[in-house]
Amino acid sequence: MKRSEGWSAKALDIFLKYNTEFILLILIVISSLISSAFFTERNIFNLLRQVSGTGIISMGMLLVILTGGIDLSVGSQLALGSVLSAYFLTIYSYSLPMSIFLTILICTFFGSVSGYLVSFRGMAPFVATLALMTITRGFAFIISKGAPIIVDSATLTNFGSKYFLRIPYPVLLMLGIFIVVHLILRYTIFGRLVKAIGSNELAVKLSGINVAYYKFAVYAISGAFAAVAGIISTSRTGVGSPLVGEGLELDAIAAVVIGGASLKGGKGTAFKTLLGVLILGLIGNIMNLKNVPAYPQQVIKGLIIIFAVLFQGVKTGYGSES
Amino acid sequence: MVTYRIEMNNISKSFGGVQALKRVTFKVNPGEIMALVGENGAGKSTLMKILSGAYTKDEGEILIDGRPVEINSPQKGRNIGINIIYQELTIVPDLTVAENIFLGNLPVRNGIIQWSKLNQKAEELIQSIGFSLNPKTIAGNLSVAHQQVVEICKALSHDARVLILDEPTAVLAPREVKTLFEILKNLKKKGVSIIYISHRLEEVLEIADQITVLKDGEVTGTGTPKEMGKDNIINLMIGRRITDMYPQRDIPTGEEIFKIENLNNDKVENVSFTVKAGEVFGIAGLVGSGRTEIAKAIFGVDPVQTGIIYLDNQQLKNKSPKEAVSKGIGMVPENRKEEGVILDMTVRENITITNLKNLSRLGFIKNKEEEDFCQQLVEKLRVKAATIDVPVNSLSGGNQQKVSLAKWFGINLKLIILDEPTRGIDVGAKVEVYKLINELARQGLGVIMISSEMMEIIGMCDRAAVMHRGKMIGVLENDELTEENIMRLATGEEKNNEKK
Repeated sequence: MKRSEGWSAKALDIFLKYNTEFILLILIVISSLISSAFFTERNIFNLLRQVSGTGIISMGMLLVILTGGIDLSVGSQLALGSVLSAYFLTIYSYSLPMSIFLTILICTFFGSVSGYLVSFRGMAPFVATLALMTITRGFAFIISKGAPIIVDSATLTNFGSKYFLRIPYPVLLMLGIFIVVHLILRYTIFGRLVKAIGSNELAVKLSGINVAYYKFAVYAISGAFAAVAGIISTSRTGVGSPLVGEGLELDAIAAVVIGGASLKGGKGTAFKTLLGVLILGLIGNIMNLKNVPAYPQQVIKGLIIIFAVLFQGVKTGYGSES
Repeated sequence: MVTYRIEMNNISKSFGGVQALKRVTFKVNPGEIMALVGENGAGKSTLMKILSGAYTKDEGEILIDGRPVEINSPQKGRNIGINIIYQELTIVPDLTVAENIFLGNLPVRNGIIQWSKLNQKAEELIQSIGFSLNPKTIAGNLSVAHQQVVEICKALSHDARVLILDEPTAVLAPREVKTLFEILKNLKKKGVSIIYISHRLEEVLEIADQITVLKDGEVTGTGTPKEMGKDNIINLMIGRRITDMYPQRDIPTGEEIFKIENLNNDKVENVSFTVKAGEVFGIAGLVGSGRTEIAKAIFGVDPVQTGIIYLDNQQLKNKSPKEAVSKGIGMVPENRKEEGVILDMTVRENITITNLKNLSRLGFIKNKEEEDFCQQLVEKLRVKAATIDVPVNSLSGGNQQKVSLAKWFGINLKLIILDEPTRGIDVGAKVEVYKLINELARQGLGVIMISSEMMEIIGMCDRAAVMHRGKMIGVLENDELTEENIMRLATGEEKNNEKK
């Protein structure tokens, strides 16, 4: 009896530790079973390309959430990034590197405004980034005059549609950013302190750390990543549109949370966030393959998010009883 | 035969292996103000929590108005008419005075609150204790003193027979204390028995009919203020000698390393003292007397309004803990779990947080060097942890405190401020912490040690300042460091009144 108890406890431990992995695995198995079109190279890379934008902004969102904050502006920033890159390329005829540089710079600036309001003016992250969400979306409309800007840069559109070693470029970029964030969180002072601030901001401050600087920085980084995602969006569709990215901030938050991060901060990894992104993308993908209409899709997606996070709840429920 | 309102006979209570109360007998008459005095940890709160139902007793009996009762929950206590008002008030700030008073007991008809009846009842209650306050005021806008009045009315709204006040004047200005005393006297006339817990002997002598002194969980004396006398009470509270708890520190103190002149801000007044290299300088005083606030001002957490701070003859203007640390000041804060350590992170991550710059290259932490550095400190401070990579919340209180200290050991400091460094840790761990403090002093640091335990101040410090209500009353030299002297200054007597 005792032995089997020990064994089942161990199994439960392993299950709880790798629950995000399990959920993804289960979804992959189910998807493969119900659709023969699912497990094909073409569909998998298509899926990965679709989630590349969400994946990139989720990495920024993870950094923000680790400090105990939230960034609602990333969806709008993505639209701004999309519009700006097209605008600089087409209207100003700037070179591609220059356009990309300016786009990232401007979105980083708007991210910094959130960061400034949160860390130096003590504004609640929810409120500050909510304001920036409407401001940046507004600018995206102003600059584009409400209409999509068509891009005629073959380099950019090639990036969105071509492959390197059979992997689409946007997917490579997403993986690159994932690796960078993973390394930051794993091996750098910056990553260590970002997590520490989310765990106990006061203790970090009293250890002589400039907490405001780090909180500021994560919002700026989040803005930069949103710009990159916006440029990818333009590269894939060939237009800079002020309408893209609507609600994407919520997908990013969902991905981070499905990946087991705590909205209170301090807990979460880049790898699990990436899994969260894949889980979300996969749900959409399989429902499209099975021709589930759009409206029920939303309901099912929501239910799966609840289910996934309840799994986490089992874990945190054990850990946080006091 | 006299029937006591409260009769607690032979009450014992222990927590784990610690005997918190030993056969305590405590009796209060109807309409009497009984003061309960004693040092921190003497057992006052435990006794009152047993009476109000928050704790259950191990042994003994409780009689209320002559009838034996079992008070096994705060709910039961309230039903019997025992109400306790804690130091931290439990006002709901967004509700009105009347709503707060009758919270959970609002007059309703068909589920609808009868506002006029509510306000009228609240007003009557407030007037009945000889006070006036608009029942429609939002409670959060009131001063602390008025909030306290609301708490008292709330207690009275369920027919309090016994009112327990835990350090009620800790947050009040002198004028407000007078008002409170008027209210208490009115309540007394109405036959309410009042138990008044306080450190402030002056007040106790003024208001109390009877005084009970607790020390180490035992009653060491009971009597009227006249019978007892202030000196006698102090003796009864602290009458014990320094044991060999405190390791010797045979090092000469060096040059003056730290000086603070006339520091003033919102929370402290006229603070001046100096600390020499290798010296342990104590700051004594009661809880809330402004000791922590001095530390916060030095460390750049709270602003300094007027006054000058020198470190190594250079004027300091710390606007943040970061600046303070960069100048060579460290602080171990009083609330270990909230401020001292990051509970969810590992021992390693906690210890090296102050030294990451030196353990990294281009922002990347050098794993091996960090591990060695941390391992060395863990061994030196004898932190008991399975590995350096377990979370701090898996450690005992004493070991958590060592982690909180360890992060300052590996870096170059000139001054370290220790706020209640041994609070809530067991005796063995305390002695180890004292040794570490001596080690810091031996390295030539100036050490400022804030403590509520007089014994600790006397045992560890070369000199000590004593605070009373935000003011620095005086600095006691080594030969003046006695329990009586500290207690006198801490309860607000001037230094020159002391008998030498």
